[in-house]
Amino acid sequence: MKKISLFLILLFLEFSTVADDVSNLIVENCTSCHNLNNYQNKNIPSLQNLTKEEFIKVMEKYKDGDGNGVMARISKVLTNQDILKISEIIYNE
Amino acid sequence: MNSKINRRKFLSNLASGLTFFTLSNLFLLKRLNAKSKPKVLIIGSGIGGLTCLSYLNKISDAIDIIVIDKNKSIRTGPLSNLVLGGILSEEKITFTIDPKKYRNVKFVYDEVKYIDSDKKFVKVSGDVSVNFDFIILSPGIGYKENIIEGYNPNNTELLPHCWDGDSNLKKFKKQLNDLDRNSKIIISSPDYPYRCPPAPYERASLIANYLKKKKNNSKILIFDSKNSFTKQENFFKEWNLYYNNIIEWIPRKKGGRIIKYDHQNKIIKNEQGNKVKADLIHFIPDQKASNIFFDSGVLDKKNDWCEINPTTFELKGFDDIFVLGDSINAWDMPKSAFSANSQAKVLAINLINKILGRKFVDPVFLNTCYSFSKENRAFSITAWYRLNTSKDRIVSLGSSQSSINSSHIDRNQEASHAFGWFNTMVNDLFL
Repeated sequence: MKKISLFLILLFLEFSTVADDVSNLIVENCTSCHNLNNYQNKNIPSLQNLTKEEFIKVMEKYKDGDGNGVMARISKVLTNQDILKISEIIYNE
Repeated sequence: MNSKINRRKFLSNLASGLTFFTLSNLFLLKRLNAKSKPKVLIIGSGIGGLTCLSYLNKISDAIDIIVIDKNKSIRTGPLSNLVLGGILSEEKITFTIDPKKYRNVKFVYDEVKYIDSDKKFVKVSGDVSVNFDFIILSPGIGYKENIIEGYNPNNTELLPHCWDGDSNLKKFKKQLNDLDRNSKIIISSPDYPYRCPPAPYERASLIANYLKKKKNNSKILIFDSKNSFTKQENFFKEWNLYYNNIIEWIPRKKGGRIIKYDHQNKIIKNEQGNKVKADLIHFIPDQKASNIFFDSGVLDKKNDWCEINPTTFELKGFDDIFVLGDSINAWDMPKSAFSANSQAKVLAINLINKILGRKFVDPVFLNTCYSFSKENRAFSITAWYRLNTSKDRIVSLGSSQSSINSSHIDRNQEASHAFGWFNTMVNDLFL
């Protein structure tokens, strides 16, 4: 918990403006690890296998949980609105 | 209500930058297509250059794209320390671009000698010129000379630094292999800034892992030009667990900065004047922008790094010359493959916006640097980045790293993620 509080103090900006461009670019950065092609990556799950609702749930769990894995740390910066917006982009709404 | 989306629909949304392309863009592209096509030259087919290519390739009907690199096959920096540590074969990090992957793109395997920023052409060997309307430079890193007396970073035959794809991994592995038991190895770690800040310590860890198995009672002394380093507490924790009495780290204030090297006797001298003899001395050189910028007169010799516009990546003071990756000052962003990949996306999207006469997007970047301490254990540091309020620099939203109390399962999972990221990237770009 200490680590998370320290992290929040360091956080002096966030993505909460939810401009379309910002959300689109967040999604582009997701694709650096989560592949787009038919290639099956056994180490990192594809977002294709989730529904939009499942994606939001998973991301909120990472964001609000006290895990320390890379996704937990990456999602701490995102607001719930960011997560909703990027889910709409990924799942084409 | 939302059922699982089908793969085709998903791919149509996400395939390399398509979130930025609407029907109106396609209309603009058709109009552009009727005029003469802009010529985009990409110098460097590493991770930064190829990421730009993968985005620009989406409009390759409307632009001419030429990629120039002196190497036909690319060796990645990421995972290269696993090769040195005998965990991966060199083939696993060596890639040749499948030309069918990129349509309407010309690949030239030649060295760029000079960029004429006024007349907009580059010179390759044989005095041949290649013109451009826009040039993207992703040439990697350069090395400072005359920092350590007696050490020349260009002498990679004798002293391979293995800090880029050109360096001789096999030669350095042989030097390690030729060591006897009870050997002393010195690793000289450079001052900031340099490519991949945690990599000297990952390298020390994986060499220690090798020595522990093959060269009993050997020792690594890291002579560091810095007083601290990234992910330091995580490295210390791993070294205590696995390489106790093998790795010793010497910060600058305690004599870590090497100033002189005697190759014949294998002796180094530090700032304090102390001399240390070793069986193998491995230098990771101090670094600067790639030589092509200095040779072309687009970067003054008194500067080490290219200054860029953080939204467009256009080189300050020059039109239509764009630079990304290790050779730029990216403010809070470290020099890493992940950073170059993220920067390249913004650069390419905003270059497309420029070509289409659209407004630029405000950048968002992500970086994650994984480090291995042994074959099945890794940890990471990660941060998001965007522009400051005056939009003249890239700022971190706060970096965070793996807990030093991570379980073995956590470390193991991070190793798996490191391979996963690498595999996604090389599949997207090369295969």
